[in-house]
Amino acid sequence: MENSTEDSRIQSFDLGTQLLLKTALKDPGSVNLETVSNIIVDQSLKDQVFSKEAGRICYTIVQAEVKQNNGNVFRRNLLNRLQQEFKDREETRRRSLQEWVCYVTFICNVFDYLKVNNMPMVALVHPVYDCLMRLAQPDALMNEEEVDCLVLQLHRIGEQLEKVNVQRMDELFFLLRDGFLLQEGLTSMARLLLLEILEFRAGGWMLSSTAHKYYYSEIAD
Amino acid sequence: MSDWTRSKRRDAHSSEYDRRSTGPSRWSHCRKRGIDGSLRANGESDGSDWEKRGHTDGSYRHSDNRPSSFTTPESAGPVSRCSRQADWGSQVEDDEMRRGVHRDMQRYRRRILGAEVTQRERKTSSGSSGSCDSREGENMETDEAVLLRRQKQINYGKNTLAYDRYIKEVPKHMRQPGVHPKTPNKFRKYSRRSWDQQIKLWKVKLHAWDPPAEEGQDKVLDNIEELDLDDVMDIELDFPTLSESQNVPASQTTHSLLLEDEDCSGTPVKIQKTETTTEPGMV
Repeated sequence: MENSTEDSRIQSFDLGTQLLLKTALKDPGSVNLETVSNIIVDQSLKDQVFSKEAGRICYTIVQAEVKQNNGNVFRRNLLNRLQQEFKDREETRRRSLQEWVCYVTFICNVFDYLKVNNMPMVALVHPVYDCLMRLAQPDALMNEEEVDCLVLQLHRIGEQLEKVNVQRMDELFFLLRDGFLLQEGLTSMARLLLLEILEFRAGGWMLSSTAHKYYYSEIAD
Repeated sequence: MSDWTRSKRRDAHSSEYDRRSTGPSRWSHCRKRGIDGSLRANGESDGSDWEKRGHTDGSYRHSDNRPSSFTTPESAGPVSRCSRQADWGSQVEDDEMRRGVHRDMQRYRRRILGAEVTQRERKTSSGSSGSCDSREGENMETDEAVLLRRQKQINYGKNTLAYDRYIKEVPKHMRQPGVHPKTPNKFRKYSRRSWDQQIKLWKVKLHAWDPPAEEGQDKVLDNIEELDLDDVMDIELDFPTLSESQNVPASQTTHSLLLEDEDCSGTPVKIQKTETTTEPGMV
């Protein structure tokens, strides 16, 4: 059942790569897992749809590797590559907003899927916060692409993030409130997204039914 | 949600301003300092110390604009240790091991408690029994640094083909004390020297299950007898079977390769060097 979604994600690669990834999922010991991790990161940085679900593939490979030989070659390479990209993130953002947004989506997705003893990976907490804080800066709030990404990530992992570090979540929400209330030039769409996420957290990481109706009833049109 | 977002966005785009407004950010600065002086002033999300460490030496020193608070509080371990720990992969591995050790510690405590209870019962009925176990709770090793170092050593031993073969060939209930290798108990208080010796002997015994390399296992076992008599402490810790290499070339090569590989990601030897000063067993 899980495999079917993974397979559909894998469709976006060329045939050789598809085969490599499928082997990595079944028999990780027989492939070069550094190559595999690089392929997944590269694709995530290019493909926004892929970056939203790539964490699941990573999770499956990590599990398979642990089961097969108690190894963590894939995870180590994946995380270190993510760290490499993290260092260059300002450069990436300048070069391509889309790649930057893909990066944030991907690292958040990895944070969401990969756990250590069922707990979030501590090493990623601050980097993820750093990315989200960056998206909450005034210049980033001017880009709906970035606001959209920020809000989506908070919907997905906001609650977990807050549990591991409330202080930084508070900091982040100071920025979001400031942005919503004071920043000139925000599009109404960006304001709407910000307002919704403010309500979302205020409601204990969920929307009340009336709030939900307010924000989402227009889908019917 | 994104579909809805998109349609909405098109309307919103028409009213888009150019991005010159910097006013609001100044507000937020003032406010944040009021709440907590240690907060980051500008959200200028530049890397933190551990992250810079991976960089060249120059860029690490050059972190002047950064508020001093901008280090990672949770990861006190990696930051205070050597630079090798700075990459995320290693951090997560350390984290994993630390949590594993703490989980083991809870289990071990429970087991001791259980043992104590049965012991008490036995005492009331028979009146006497060997009771060295009952004091184990007090003599338990709880120093995290020691436990982590020991766990690392154990992991290296377990991360071998020989160990896999051993646990497959000899099921737990068949193992006899003194005959089969038994993983040293990391929760017992031992001197550093004693512990290292136990690890060494354990690894040597495990070598009996190295994958067959032409010569068969008898040779290896012979060597173990010899090694047992030698003062093994004089041999470098991670190459306890160095003297075997002449007799069992094939299996030895794979083994030392494994070890070399581990050297890159952090050897027990290196860790020991950084921690010798704090090791209580040495005093």
